[in-house]
Amino acid sequence: MEDDGPDYGGEEDNALDDYDVDAGGDEEQQGEGDDDQEVGEDGNRVEVLEGQTQPSDRPRMTTRYMTKYERARVLGTRALQISMNAPVLVETNGETDPLEIAAKELREAKIPFIIRRFLPDGSWEDWSVKELILTER
Amino acid sequence: MFYFQDIIKEVELHPKYFGRKLTRHIEEQIQKEVEGSCSGKYGYIVVVYAFNSISQGRIREGGGCATFTVNFKACCMRPFKNEVLQATVDVVNKVGFFCTAGPLKIFVSNYLIPEEFEFQMAEEAAFVSSDDEVRIKIGCQVRVRVVGVRIEANDCTCVASMKDDYLGVVAIMD
Repeated sequence: MEDDGPDYGGEEDNALDDYDVDAGGDEEQQGEGDDDQEVGEDGNRVEVLEGQTQPSDRPRMTTRYMTKYERARVLGTRALQISMNAPVLVETNGETDPLEIAAKELREAKIPFIIRRFLPDGSWEDWSVKELILTER
Repeated sequence: MFYFQDIIKEVELHPKYFGRKLTRHIEEQIQKEVEGSCSGKYGYIVVVYAFNSISQGRIREGGGCATFTVNFKACCMRPFKNEVLQATVDVVNKVGFFCTAGPLKIFVSNYLIPEEFEFQMAEEAAFVSSDDEVRIKIGCQVRVRVVGVRIEANDCTCVASMKDDYLGVVAIMD
């Protein structure tokens, strides 16, 4: 599974397209290696050098488990979207709390996100939430 | 001049549209934002002709919205210097006249109208040729040459000349 390269979830006939979530780990929060521009101290727009993309020949090497930081970020983002009227992908059975619904979606592996894990050299790996192994609960 | 142009634009979409019709919502959003707008690079974007590709969404930090990079083909209209345009006269006054060619506003100063034309205010404002044959008045079609283009943030105006061969009144509309 890990040698398959990034799974973009495109083959699944899902109601939703998949969305990238930048990985939520501590060291990954810096936002570097992205294509966004940062404003320098003197107010000029400074272009951040783009990090290398994931080499397609290299198999993914980060953990196949979802870290607790990723879990928190995914649940938080998904709950926010559900609270903003995003279509829910599971049976709610009368549940109204967005965070509870998001947790249920996560348990049933229905969250259409892709986590982008940035590595220290600026390259990244994409992991679909559906393929990451959940540990808690 | 009208031309087709491939344009890449990012569009932000609210989570409530993350359903089955996501692609259509993205396309509608692009059309709403782009059609009728004017930029210095492309001129007026008249209509979105086709969508080439829509990227995967990227979730915005903390917002819940997703941004999609859309590559589309649009029909644009940009005036170029020395271009000859056919336009309809809107306003005539003693300093010159204004006319429109599609979305574009064009001003022709009376210094750039041939000398034989003279401003008259008799029943309606018009430039009348010395032999009283040709009148430049509201509603008539003129052919003019663009001599200057000013592109502002969201608008585009031209200064044009009529002092050249084959330029002048083409037809009179009622």
